[in-house]
Amino acid sequence: MSAPPAPPMPRTAGSAAEAYRLEGELPMVEQPAVPFVEIETVRAREFIPAAKEAFGALIAEQGQAKLIRPTFNWAGRNSLFPLHWGLACCAIEFASAFSARWDSERFGIVPRSSPRQCDLMIVNGTVTWKVAHKLITLYEQMPEPKWVIAMGNCATGGGPFRTAYSVVPGVDKLVPVDVYIAGCPPRPEAMIDGILRLEELIRERRE
Amino acid sequence: MQSDDVARTVAAQIGERFLGLEPFPRTAGRLRFRSEAALPLFHTVKEQLGFHHLSMVGGIDWVTHREVFYVVWSDDRRQYLLLSADLPAAAPHIESAASVWPAANWHERETWELVDIQFDHHPDLRHLLLPDGYEAHPLLRSFQLHEPEELEVKQRSV
Ligand code: SF4
Repeated sequence: MSAPPAPPMPRTAGSAAEAYRLEGELPMVEQPAVPFVEIETVRAREFIPAAKEAFGALIAEQGQAKLIRPTFNWAGRNSLFPLHWGLACCAIEFASAFSARWDSERFGIVPRSSPRQCDLMIVNGTVTWKVAHKLITLYEQMPEPKWVIAMGNCATGGGPFRTAYSVVPGVDKLVPVDVYIAGCPPRPEAMIDGILRLEELIRERRE
Repeated sequence: MQSDDVARTVAAQIGERFLGLEPFPRTAGRLRFRSEAALPLFHTVKEQLGFHHLSMVGGIDWVTHREVFYVVWSDDRRQYLLLSADLPAAAPHIESAASVWPAANWHERETWELVDIQFDHHPDLRHLLLPDGYEAHPLLRSFQLHEPEELEVKQRSV
């Protein structure tokens, strides 16, 4: 019979380092002197001409198409702002993806409440014919470039309500969809994965 | 005890258009009436019996006929009362309760679009849950679920 594993030793913060220091075994390392840099406050009206000048030189060197598009693309795909709304039960998972536990803000995904500030529409639930034209209005209010993710089986193809009398059988009948996420509902991990795939797609498609 | 009082008051007001009061679990009963007597009955039930709150309106398609029912609540009695009328399956219609209980407005719109019961003198009989222009009445027994027709998938242009 093997003995049960020993319980972990209680640990006190700093105790090991203190012990070393007391015994003189830990050599003290000379830290290199960090030069003190004075950071000037740059005002916007000074910054913009400076940035223009710098970008102008780069553009003259590399050509506009080579520089501007990848820069905007890089910035855009790393700060996808989805529309903050909810259509049905998938919206619960959508909301929890922004909670502290999954924290999709670390990917730059921040929900915005106005379609004019968004470039990503996550259709999170059952789309009925009654709400269809409102969805299209919201989509049309979003500025280009814009993307759509169909989240869950309902938005993908009608889900359990496919043959129902009032449900749109898939949101791709109303607006073009870039990424479909399966699940009823998809877990927040799946949603984050879908958004990361969309980022790849944007990189491939627009560079 | 209280139910006797309901039956007596209603019978005095609408006469033989009152068809009886059946016991119904945990309510004051299920009151059946002829649809012609709808408006006087609603006034009696609200003003004389004190059922001031309309909780819901619904309809049932029994194939041979349609049934429309109202659930009303009284704070004084702390009881629900069910009012129910049978309507002919061809052209079912009844007087709207919206002039007595304003809450009936949306409930009747829903009953009309789902079970196809016409409410006469309704202030605003439009679709509530279904899109405008929807012609079928989906909670009728004759309604068939179907595979969705093939719709064009939208392609992105950029
Ligand atoms: S896919 Fe499932 S969880 Fe999501 S909206 Fe439809 S029924 Fe609800």
